Amino acid sequence: MQPFTLNYARPAAELEFSTPYAYDPGMQLNVTLDGRIAARDHALLRELGTTTSTAGSKTHFDD
Amino acid sequence: MTVLILTCEEDVTADMVVVHLNAAGVPVVRLDPADLTHSVALSGEYVHGAFRGHLSSAGRLVSLDGLRSVWVRRPGEAAARAAQPSAWLTEEASQALYGMLRGTGARWMNHPDASRRARYKPWQLRLAQLSGLPVPATIVTTFPQAAREFADRYPDLVVKPVSGAHPQDPPRAVPTTRVPPGADFAAVAYGPTLLQRRVAKRADIRLTAVGDRILAARKETAPGGDPDVVDVRYSPSTAPWRPADVPPRLAEAVRRYLREAELAYGAFDFAEDADGTWWFLECNQSGQFGFVEVDTGQPIARTIAQWLADAPPERDARQPDRCDSTAS
Repeated sequence: MQPFTLNYARPAAELEFSTPYAYDPGMQLNVTLDGRIAARDHALLRELGTTTSTAGSKTHFDD
Repeated sequence: MTVLILTCEEDVTADMVVVHLNAAGVPVVRLDPADLTHSVALSGEYVHGAFRGHLSSAGRLVSLDGLRSVWVRRPGEAAARAAQPSAWLTEEASQALYGMLRGTGARWMNHPDASRRARYKPWQLRLAQLSGLPVPATIVTTFPQAAREFADRYPDLVVKPVSGAHPQDPPRAVPTTRVPPGADFAAVAYGPTLLQRRVAKRADIRLTAVGDRILAARKETAPGGDPDVVDVRYSPSTAPWRPADVPPRLAEAVRRYLREAELAYGAFDFAEDADGTWWFLECNQSGQFGFVEVDTGQPIARTIAQWLADAPPERDARQPDRCDSTAS
């Protein structure tokens, strides 16, 4: 009784994900441990893939 | 006038826009509706024929009539982190927040009504056709025989979820997947199934539209790549996204789509075939853009910030909003 589409399902990506930055409510931005604004560090974003379009992605359910 | 951003704290993609708003000196209040009654508060009163309301979060207070725009990015469910969360409280908090915001003259990216409608993939496909975008032959059906006949006409098919949602219990993902020859379509009877002619693509296209501004990026399919790997999100390819020129007629069709969909923002996915045709796959009304900007250097975050910072439209503040905030 499983729908046809689910024949092609696979285990979801791991949603637990640790980032080397944390949200600063005062700045309204995520900041790295050494005080830099994470969004300005494109190399970091690329490495972490936190802005990436990925179904079942690390930080978002859709893309 | 303030830009209100509704999103979760870990949304570093939203940060990319906040950085530009800060640089431009535009006031920003960012909050997650999930924090309502915990660290976010609201109040609105309707007295003597007038409405006044405000929101507070992390020590910031904003008057609702001082909002120039609302960016609905990645908000959590309203009051999900309240001391005693419940479905009832979520509905109450959602009605209070979004109901009050709808009473302001702020511009929306995107309006909740437009967003909700824009998530329907079958609707997307029809609107894309009507807008003049090439759409691969597609069927959505619960008739196994219809699926079989479609497969006879289009032997090389992919299957993907109609909703784009992923099943839980246990959590699973359903990428766009090639249907093997001779597949048994009997199980189509147990759930609406979306089958689509596979586009033998030479590149993936991600087109990001912000108001009237269109920015496209292209990622080449690896030569000799596995044709069974259809979904770029699961592709092992390390090829970078590069800026791409948008054919004028396609740009016009995209603008037509956005106008009809009443969207101020849309992230379109296309598959480019060997002839260079861009085949419409979907339009995500809240699609990611950070990864494109990181690879291409295209000013998507800055363009969004500029759109959000534009003055709100002249309007009679006594009129409730409409789902038409797409003017650039």
